[in-house]
Amino acid sequence: MFSLIYRMVRDRALAEDLAQETFVKVLNGIRSYRPEFKFSSWIFKIANNAAIDHLRRKELDTLSLDGSPLAATPDESEATALQVGARQESPLDEVEARELGGAIERAIGRLRPEYRACILLRHVEGYSYEEIARTLDLPLGTVKTYIHRARNELRHYLEDRRE
Amino acid sequence: MATDLHLTPDELELWAQGLLSAGRTMHLADCAECRVAAERERKLFLELAQLPRFAPEAGFVDRVLAKVRIPTPSGDYRV
Repeated sequence: MFSLIYRMVRDRALAEDLAQETFVKVLNGIRSYRPEFKFSSWIFKIANNAAIDHLRRKELDTLSLDGSPLAATPDESEATALQVGARQESPLDEVEARELGGAIERAIGRLRPEYRACILLRHVEGYSYEEIARTLDLPLGTVKTYIHRARNELRHYLEDRRE
Repeated sequence: MATDLHLTPDELELWAQGLLSAGRTMHLADCAECRVAAERERKLFLELAQLPRFAPEAGFVDRVLAKVRIPTPSGDYRV
């Protein structure tokens, strides 16, 4: 579960906080657990929601025309103002990729969060497509589409690197 | 299924996992396009299979338990 969150948010300290938040929610909400749902899937669902919520909040801040509402200085506003164009790899991405282990990690980091969650559940956690669909509350066809697209994108990123 | 049909993405995945039926695997012997696609699939699967798992820092469990509400005999919760 920690690996999933870490690869979703790509920041170890933040991943620790979100993993902690996940387990606190799991333990405090244990009475709402439905036994027909696999326990680990329930935990992954809460973990993934925590990571996606964080990424959405971050995206909202990043995509504000005037910069993040949380910005305290003009420099911070400028730094968080609308960024136009394709996502480029930043120096921070480079640092994260080194920490996470290289090109494949960097390629995973460039996937949309929805694709990233699916590919990690499939290839790191070994979940079946059906389990991923139940865990992420997605139709089975959507999960298959996400995973196939994610693999295509990963191959392209990795082949670009090799060329 | 006929062996002259190209492998679908699902079949390529099965092949990369060693689970594709012998009948469909035969298609690869005759189709260079599918062989290339299958090899690319297998290469990616190998890279993904080597991804390490990460663990939180020491003391993680204690930090979680410090925030969990523990039920008391009176029905209340103790943090």
